[in-house]
Amino acid sequence: MTSAVPDAAAPSPAVRVAGWSLHLPGAGTLADDLADWSGVPVQRLAGALAGAVPAERAHETLGRKGLLYKEPATRLALCAVHRALGLAPGRVRPDGVDPETAVVVAGNLGNVATVAELARTIHAEGGRAVSPLAAPNASSNVLASTIALWFGFGGANLMLCSGATAGLDAVRTAALLLRAGRAGRVLVVGSEPADETAIGLHQAGCATSQLRAGAACLVLTRAAPSGRGPVLLTAARQATCRLGPGGFDPATRWGDCYGAAGVVNLALAAALLDAGGSGPIAVTCGDDTDGEREVWLTADPGDSAEAITPDTPRVVFVDGGSGAQR
Amino acid sequence: MPARLTASELRTCFGDGAQTFAALLAGRSGIGPLRHGTPSALNVAHGYHIDDGLTRDFAASRWVAECASRAIVAAGLDPRRRRMVALVGTGLRELAAVEAYATGGTAVAAHRLHFGDAVGGAVPGLREVVTVSNACSAGGHVLALAEDLLMLGEADAVLVCGVDATTESMLAMIGRVVERPTDTVRPFDVDRQGVLLGDGAAAVVLVPDDDGRPALARVVATGLSCDAHHETAPSVSGIARAMRDALTRGDRHPAEVDLVVAHGTGTALNDPAECAAIREVLVAGGADPLVTAVKGATGHTSGAAALVNLDVGRRCLADGQVPPVVGLRSPLPEGAGLRFADTTIAHQPRLVQCDAFGFGGVNAVTLVEAP
Repeated sequence: MTSAVPDAAAPSPAVRVAGWSLHLPGAGTLADDLADWSGVPVQRLAGALAGAVPAERAHETLGRKGLLYKEPATRLALCAVHRALGLAPGRVRPDGVDPETAVVVAGNLGNVATVAELARTIHAEGGRAVSPLAAPNASSNVLASTIALWFGFGGANLMLCSGATAGLDAVRTAALLLRAGRAGRVLVVGSEPADETAIGLHQAGCATSQLRAGAACLVLTRAAPSGRGPVLLTAARQATCRLGPGGFDPATRWGDCYGAAGVVNLALAAALLDAGGSGPIAVTCGDDTDGEREVWLTADPGDSAEAITPDTPRVVFVDGGSGAQR
Repeated sequence: MPARLTASELRTCFGDGAQTFAALLAGRSGIGPLRHGTPSALNVAHGYHIDDGLTRDFAASRWVAECASRAIVAAGLDPRRRRMVALVGTGLRELAAVEAYATGGTAVAAHRLHFGDAVGGAVPGLREVVTVSNACSAGGHVLALAEDLLMLGEADAVLVCGVDATTESMLAMIGRVVERPTDTVRPFDVDRQGVLLGDGAAAVVLVPDDDGRPALARVVATGLSCDAHHETAPSVSGIARAMRDALTRGDRHPAEVDLVVAHGTGTALNDPAECAAIREVLVAGGADPLVTAVKGATGHTSGAAALVNLDVGRRCLADGQVPPVVGLRSPLPEGAGLRFADTTIAHQPRLVQCDAFGFGGVNAVTLVEAP
């Protein structure tokens, strides 16, 4: 939190995806599907979707210590962060707290199984029968705070639970933190489980797709002109393709990561660009109930004239309609 | 970058914001019998409840919608004619509905766990409603994001809400850590027993600092930090970072802070840590602030707590009176040297610090002054 507060009049730099990971257990076929759809060779995409262990095998990525009582969505999220940071398998031992790195997590259902189980235990046996080790999971932000504690990230820590739009709401919130000088780096994570309670709630929302457990992570930074990694855009004249509802939608082709979908789709766009696909790629998430969100991602610095800066069209939180006059 | 507060509406166990402040000045407590779950099973006998005569099913949605409607009217804004978004901070969302589902009720649609429907329905014309679930400091976190949206010109006005009712799972966790049920919340007391939950909802409207319309207060800055220290125990250095962040962002000196509306939960760990951070940042920086706290009167309103503190802070600025710490009899030893309000005190603050700290070490500290 030591970043300088920006002068509102000065143009702020664009937001870059400096790292990313897709942690979608059992999504090997998604690489074939995306390769077919996009024309990008599958050999280049397969690596991005490989290596995602399911929650019960999270220790293969994270090491054995500290995973007791960690919910599946938390485990998947930790794996996604671990891999986005390019760390070797094994427990991370942060050597201090990094106040410059913030965490923004998107997800809705991560702790519903725990909350349901706690309620059943309280009704059957009383509150004394509840394990104090489960206590942190009663709070919905356990996912975000666990990432901070695990990796030593001391910047702003936010848990977005806004339904189907949460993923891109988190991306845009992260961009806001960077541009407002609240962080030098933001880990954006989307994660959802697919336990019985979560599926029950998801289906009750009249979902047309099947909930599936998965996570993804994006490492967002303020873009230096010479930096590496694709750049987020708030608007693009013409997208080459669209990932998410209205385009190649993993939710219908593989499984729906619900609140994490926006992060998954954006990480998939990064994978596609990295594999040689051309941009800008439109990335969407949302549904009829919660609304839709859209951002664009490009690998070409030449496109970054429309990167997120105060001078560009305001798509962030704004529809740009005629009512926009102040 | 400052923003102006043009509306601030509450719903607590006492009623609206004016009724809440009057009760605080009178030193009253809103405690009553627990109205959610079975007290003997939860080891929690009391709560600070809103009694609107209606069901507790989806009560948080109802209360936050009602506050949002009132705030929009009070601000005199038409969201259809402005770029206006809503941010809703909450600790527990509508997880009580998940508990009902798990214990024999029907499945609730996933989107009803957040407040998009409730606030969007109450305030037509909002561009978006985004729910942020950040435990007991959620209201302070969404306040910070609102300030950023206005500073960067991404919205013309922001409706900032906070809300929480109760869940059995959270009540059980509160009951789990005490020997016998807590009688009352005693912030900063040497004999404090622990926290109790309060129902609460709040909605405020923020506009840019250069907006000319009458304002209730000026929100100077909100600082954020995460302890990254311990799953449940607070960290003095993490809390102090949020305090310093607010001062830095607001370009203010610690010595200027002359009132703290503290987080003050009455728990074993929060109160000493908060005292230490106030001493480390403010007192060591030359301040001698009066310290008050509301949770002995309102209970812990969790997602709404930061905005309840903000409303109390702005009323202290306007009235020149600071309410006492209801429930405080004898200050804790770690509070030595701090001036706790032990009765209603005539005091005209210039810069008020409002604290909110949440589970997982998520801290939000807001500085507010007269408009």
